Amino acid sequence: MSLENFDIRYSEEIDLLFLNKWASQDQVICWLPFCDDREMESATNCWIGFSKFKASLTATINNVPCGIATLFLMPYKKVAHHSMFKIVVDPDFQNQGVGSSLIKNIKHLAKNRFKLELLHIEVMDKNPILSLLFKQGFKQILYQEDYFKDGDTFIPRVLLEANLMEDV
Amino acid sequence: MKKITDEISIRPVEDGDAILLKKWLNDPKILCWFPMINEIEIDDSIRIWMSYSKMGAGITALYNGKPCGMFNLYIQPFKKIAHNSLFSIIVDEECRGRGVGKVLIEEGQKLAKDVFNISLLLLEVYEGNPARRLYERMGFSCYAEQKHYVKEDGKYLSKFFMQKKI
Repeated sequence: MSLENFDIRYSEEIDLLFLNKWASQDQVICWLPFCDDREMESATNCWIGFSKFKASLTATINNVPCGIATLFLMPYKKVAHHSMFKIVVDPDFQNQGVGSSLIKNIKHLAKNRFKLELLHIEVMDKNPILSLLFKQGFKQILYQEDYFKDGDTFIPRVLLEANLMEDV
Repeated sequence: MKKITDEISIRPVEDGDAILLKKWLNDPKILCWFPMINEIEIDDSIRIWMSYSKMGAGITALYNGKPCGMFNLYIQPFKKIAHNSLFSIIVDEECRGRGVGKVLIEEGQKLAKDVFNISLLLLEVYEGNPARRLYERMGFSCYAEQKHYVKEDGKYLSKFFMQKKI
């Protein structure tokens, strides 16, 4: 991480504007399950809703958001020891350590604030974030051939898991 | 109402079925195979279940005219995943072993394919659930296991992911 004036704070509802801006860009939306503005806004409204539980982190540079990672906390006790998370980084700041820092911090938040034992993320196969996730200790636990469909093309989904109890 | 056998018929889910759904989910022998654990969680899950039924994604089975089980498709809101759907099924303990589950899955499968244009049905089953044998007999195959998915009284159970192309 060599970015100056980089910081990570809890997400705020106003960050939705940035989330929508990034998610609507072609190089981002192609890796997400939604395909138009209506679907995107429905998803991102739900996404930013977790900020009220302090389950979402926003990375900033010079106080301007450049990435968001969010825990989608489970609503039922029997499964509340784990959670999915989602992450998106401003395409202008990808491959500069923002994603890596967000993942480290969201794992820390999951383990220490929410006492989670396992953290999951679901991505499309070949998503460039996969290599970063593997570096951060995530392991593949599911590969499903026909889960996503873009036009006539099927794209596999990959579910990855990090065991937070093993993290120091 | 559609007659399937002399005893079993099906119809779309009606608002009043929520009361039966709650009764069945309150049975510990049924609830243990769902993620909910108390009344607040059960009520939340019923609200979600019934919201899909209002979109025509649910069916109720009747045995000799009495509701005895329900099936629900959790139809996906996004186009890229709209060809697949997870489903839930529940059968009154008193009506087990009478073919109700099989009918619900067969009819639910038709609903998924004919009405919602779904080509891939998904199912999530907890470790030890005896219904898994029925799902396998009906063509569902397990493609992944998520260990430690359920935690209850300090004990963990796996979740198995099953699917069937329809």
